[in-house]
Amino acid sequence: MAPAPLLLSGSRAWPRLLGTQRGLLVQGLQGARRGSLGSQVGQRGLQVLGPPGGLLLLLQQGLSRGFAKVAKTRSSREVREAEDSAPVFQYVGERSKRKERVFVWGFCHAGALGIPSFVKPDAGWKKRRRIQPTPYRLDTAEKISSAACGYGFTLISSKTTDITKVWGMGLNKDSQLGFQRSRKDRTKGYEYVLEPSPIPLPLDTPQETRVLQVSCGRAHSLILTDKEGVFSMGNNSYGQCGRKVTEGEIYSESHLIHRLQKFDGRVVQVVCGQDHSLFRTERGEVYSCGWGADGQTGVGHYNITSVPTKLGGDIAGVNIVQVATYGDSCLAVSDEGDLFGWGNSEYMQLASITEMTQVNVPRHLPFKIGKIKDAACGGTGNAVVNGEGNVFVWGYGILGKGPNLMETATPEMIPPTLFGLSDFSPDTRVSRIRCGLSQFAALNNRGELFVWGKNIRGCLGIGRMEDQYFPWRVTIPGEVVDVACGVDHMVTLVKSFI
Amino acid sequence: MAARRAARTGLNGLFAVYKPPGVASIRVRDTVETLLLKELNSLEQPAVQQQVRFLPTTVEGNAGKELTLTVTQLPVLAAHPLVRGPEFTHLKIGAGHRLDTKSSGVFVLGVGHGNKLLTDMYNAHLTRAYTVRGLFGKATDDFSDTGRLIEKTTFDHVTRDKLERILAVIQGTNHKALLMYSNIDLKTQEAYELAVEGLIRPMEKTPPLITAIRCLQFAPPEFQLEIQCLHETQQYLRKIVHEIGLELKSTCVCTQVRRIRDGFFTLDNALLRTHWNLQNIRNSIQDSKSKVKVGLQRSLSCQARSGKRHTDMDQVAESKLHSTEGMSASDLTHKMR
Repeated sequence: MAPAPLLLSGSRAWPRLLGTQRGLLVQGLQGARRGSLGSQVGQRGLQVLGPPGGLLLLLQQGLSRGFAKVAKTRSSREVREAEDSAPVFQYVGERSKRKERVFVWGFCHAGALGIPSFVKPDAGWKKRRRIQPTPYRLDTAEKISSAACGYGFTLISSKTTDITKVWGMGLNKDSQLGFQRSRKDRTKGYEYVLEPSPIPLPLDTPQETRVLQVSCGRAHSLILTDKEGVFSMGNNSYGQCGRKVTEGEIYSESHLIHRLQKFDGRVVQVVCGQDHSLFRTERGEVYSCGWGADGQTGVGHYNITSVPTKLGGDIAGVNIVQVATYGDSCLAVSDEGDLFGWGNSEYMQLASITEMTQVNVPRHLPFKIGKIKDAACGGTGNAVVNGEGNVFVWGYGILGKGPNLMETATPEMIPPTLFGLSDFSPDTRVSRIRCGLSQFAALNNRGELFVWGKNIRGCLGIGRMEDQYFPWRVTIPGEVVDVACGVDHMVTLVKSFI
Repeated sequence: MAARRAARTGLNGLFAVYKPPGVASIRVRDTVETLLLKELNSLEQPAVQQQVRFLPTTVEGNAGKELTLTVTQLPVLAAHPLVRGPEFTHLKIGAGHRLDTKSSGVFVLGVGHGNKLLTDMYNAHLTRAYTVRGLFGKATDDFSDTGRLIEKTTFDHVTRDKLERILAVIQGTNHKALLMYSNIDLKTQEAYELAVEGLIRPMEKTPPLITAIRCLQFAPPEFQLEIQCLHETQQYLRKIVHEIGLELKSTCVCTQVRRIRDGFFTLDNALLRTHWNLQNIRNSIQDSKSKVKVGLQRSLSCQARSGKRHTDMDQVAESKLHSTEGMSASDLTHKMR
């Protein structure tokens, strides 16, 4: 406190400087500025560097004189001196960390976006929102490392060692988000969860195990941990949770979370189809359980499988590095870049190798499109990314090459110029591809998100309600790291620019 | 007389001058007009027309002074240059896309019948390229380094990588706006094909759009960007530099805005102040005649044929135009390919 008055009386230049700039200095301290791209320039870590002596305290003295100042033209020397002695603000340190954020958009009524005021407005002027057409930020307690969208619900998880590792929001009529105890009646559970609520996992060592990945299907979900296997919850009428089907079991308000540990090796990836589940172990083997009427379990028959069973066929002995599914057809990628498919083929997904509309054994897809790096399976269409970063699509529906291409059995390449390749940026490549039920989402290496497909209830996030027939950029204030597509909503994990 | 008239008739068309900073563009136009007029009026003076007059004079005769008529040749006053004044007092010189006082660069002017081509160039909605220099560390009220200081900030956290990330986002959002303002139905196969070739462009008045932006030099606190844009003003480019500073959680002012290409005219075609004379301007008009004619014909014909939208064939022609536009600008910047 002591140095401040000395500074005031010592230099004559200060009052004038602060007089003109006082309003602006205060704004710099208290306000949060918004850059034009929508990202917030916050005031965390804001410091005022300048002449020592507590400039902040000078502000509190109150330097307004109460009568108008005589206007005087300042010489350039005076201007230069005033500029040199102005304080320097620091908004961000030299080694600042980029912040992780989550953005959501799509259909709101089920609560799958996790923002309660969309469904139950908390202020008089707010209205119930049916659709969120553009990305909206979701505030999360922890850094989210994995997200998955199901049919009307969402799961997000963090790699923390805290007790709460997984949060769920949206539809909970089959306990796909576990048991969410209602606050009004302690014996009942919520049918719709409107904001991210913790899911209590029955872990043996809750403060050591980390959740690696989550996945959601139509009415069931899977959670992958690093030490304690896979947890499944939700509807089990087809055995998709990996346990025996009980006749007449009531799935709503159920406390049951089943642990699956009987695999030959550690499970490193879980994916949920509509009513089936796939597990990939670190040895490159694939297990499946659930509904098999379309052959999506790939075990050689069309019945229900209620215990995870290893797949054979063309992937026996092959080191599989990725499996993908969302509807009733599945794809698997081997470490050498080969592609295998099984399941539903009514929409020409496997028409290049067979006329049958249901394939219940994994078959190799001999496409000549280079080594496959990433694959994604939608409801009626499939998409892959090859080693050069080119996207290939096949199947039925809006595939991304204009309204004229509605179905194809062999992969067609989408021109890379639609993903941001230009003369000024010639090394732009697509790095990831994801599929919702009838939409596609692609991420390029610059962190830009491109979406296309049927715009069901605004799930594409482009601000319009019309279908998008070729890849369209989604404007997000950040660099997109991962995206999860659902039926009518999407969730993205984003890193801030700075 | 004949030489002057001949010189004057050759002066019809478009040419580019290099506008220096600190001078209003209207002054540049006036200066060019004055210089041309001075040169035209100083070309060879034709001989003043003479007339034969019989003037009464007094002659010493036999019986004192007598009145007789003497033959004299006198200049016709009506045709005398001191009476009539200079032959050329006014030249129709029109200005193309103006530059504000603080910026510099290629400034297209049209003379005589070339003024009609100026309207055509405006309606062709061609892109313009600028190099913009910025300075980190301060923010001013008019976004340039000569304005009143608002705030000073640190910038030691800014790296070239972060700057290029922001530029990629600016380019992405502007590309999206380009597609949205071009009034094309996105659900058609035509829209898909145009988007693939990158030929969708608005052909009417829109807010400023940036078609390409990249960083040429980065040496903190200074950096230099190349921006290719449509329907822009120089103050908008300064505002973009200011907003880049805000996005990087620092502040930035723009120190220099320099236009390096305006449609077909590049820095190579622009005449420097020392070259603003009749001969150089006539040569410049002659050199650019062919490419202006070809370019404007293409864009006008495709506009007339399809109203506001482009057809496929003309898009192919337009793409060649784009490639020539890009090629000439890349003489000044390093080649990307």
